[in-house]
Amino acid sequence: MQTTQTAELRAGPQHAQGRRQFRLTHLQKRNLWGFAFAVPALCLFALFSIYPIARTFFLSFFDYSVVDPPRPVGLENYQQILGDPRFHTSLFNSFRYVIFTYIPVWILALLLALALNTRIKARAIFRTIYFVPVVMSWVVVSVIWKLIFHRNGLLNTMFLSPVGIGPQNWLTDLQLAPDAIVILSIWKEVGFFMVVFLAGLQNIPSDFTEAARVDGSSSLQVFRYITLPLLQPTILFSTVIGLVTGLQIFIPQFVMTQGGPVDATLVLTLDIYQTAFVFLDGGKASAMSVVLFFIIAVVTLVQFRLYRSRAYG
Amino acid sequence: MAAPPFHHPLRHPGRLRSGGWGHLALYIVLGIGAVLMLLPFAYMLSTSLKTLGEVFTTPVQWIPKELRWDNYVTALREHPIGHYFRNSLFVAVSVTLLNLLTCSLAGYSFAKFRYRGRNLLFGTVLATMMIPLASMIIPLFIVVRDLGWVDSYWGLTIPAGTSAFGIFLMRQHMLTIPDDLLDAARLDGSSEPRIFFGIVVPMSKTALSSLAIFIFMWNWDSFFWPLLVATDDQYRTLPLGIALFESSYGTNYPQLMAVAFVAMLPVLIVFLVLQRNFIEALTMSSIKG
Repeated sequence: MQTTQTAELRAGPQHAQGRRQFRLTHLQKRNLWGFAFAVPALCLFALFSIYPIARTFFLSFFDYSVVDPPRPVGLENYQQILGDPRFHTSLFNSFRYVIFTYIPVWILALLLALALNTRIKARAIFRTIYFVPVVMSWVVVSVIWKLIFHRNGLLNTMFLSPVGIGPQNWLTDLQLAPDAIVILSIWKEVGFFMVVFLAGLQNIPSDFTEAARVDGSSSLQVFRYITLPLLQPTILFSTVIGLVTGLQIFIPQFVMTQGGPVDATLVLTLDIYQTAFVFLDGGKASAMSVVLFFIIAVVTLVQFRLYRSRAYG
Repeated sequence: MAAPPFHHPLRHPGRLRSGGWGHLALYIVLGIGAVLMLLPFAYMLSTSLKTLGEVFTTPVQWIPKELRWDNYVTALREHPIGHYFRNSLFVAVSVTLLNLLTCSLAGYSFAKFRYRGRNLLFGTVLATMMIPLASMIIPLFIVVRDLGWVDSYWGLTIPAGTSAFGIFLMRQHMLTIPDDLLDAARLDGSSEPRIFFGIVVPMSKTALSSLAIFIFMWNWDSFFWPLLVATDDQYRTLPLGIALFESSYGTNYPQLMAVAFVAMLPVLIVFLVLQRNFIEALTMSSIKG
């Protein structure tokens, strides 16, 4: 600082003009640096996200075996998947999985968050325990639950046989296999949404609920008319995260049932994987990928719109 | 806006005024729930210490007569679990370091500089957040294959080297760094990289540690992508190794559970040590998201 000032004094007006010119290029130089900082990430995105998704759209109009060069077929892949019962099954299974898993998860998580947002002792311990499955790897928990669902496993011997229900073949029964994976997923996911709801609840100023209390509102009224409306952004966030992650579920089905029995647990992502890398039909798998892409895009955009209209409307 | 701290019992008096039956019922329900959450882990641990013959006894024998610790020794000696473990650690740590670098640089760029196309680039980055991995998996695999990266650490790490979520997180944080501070450093003659590493990075420790936790956790758990690029045993990561163990020796339940327990341990320890950061990171992202 000191040296610049003295240098300026010594050099006089001529130097000051030179400096202004220098500063202009200096600003450009600075912003060039700024752009350069983004280049590593941008290159990775271009090569490993933007190009692949564009290429997926392109390949969905080709017959492509992943091994041989692609051959154009127009809309044939889309016509094929429209009439493909297997694709209908996986689409149905994915939505069924999302609804049956996340509706109970959201309700349980909200109840847990409400319970832990009180003055009870040991809330930190409860929060930790309910959150543990969230940080566990999906593969590890799938392996554990595969044993739990075994014909002679924990669920049948400890919970069902005492109430007189005979052993069930959870993972090989057409009706039960999807439910088994839903049960595992509820257990795995509830802690995540509990923490999200807890954060949302703690963002609500306690003055609001206190005031309503003083006015003589019941707990239920406070919840219905104050807590719930103020929790809407959190609920919206949870809905999108749930839908987007749920529609991409893959690991438990892959590890526990391989999509079976008879496609009962075949979900979209598993269907795409098998179509591309087991049946080597890259074109058809690309068309399915495009459908998945649009489903997720619509879900996200609808949320974004809702969020906006709530914020400004 | 930072997330409010969790431990504020007085600020949130809640619904239940004082002790009484309501409170007791709440404890009981929460307690039963907690037991149900932990039961699978207890079952895993218990099974991992049994003989094969003891696995399916009725009623469930929670503490085996004799604790078979040798299940762990056998499982780890006869199968390359240690090797998978090292691969996982290497991949998760490399990807985390790469992300810390690329995301903080890009976040800084989007937050503090003005150049043509900046907003368009940032918007594009955000839009990639909603692309499902399955939707680009085929061309992604082809790109990596053409680079000669199938069955290599390059293939496992570089494609995961940045994340839109991370860039968003870092940008939001860096918007809060005052411009005056950076300008003062410029007047002092610091170069731009030096300002970044000397001022911006030290000021972003909290955001960087949140990001590190997320990226490490996601990549430790990563399965779909390694399943495609790591076909050779030398490059398999732990989740792949466990899935493979399950499909080949799936009926040796005690050993399988021993392996699962070993795989679970590092994440569990990291979580228990850093749990406040974990939950705060999640809270922060959910409120900002």
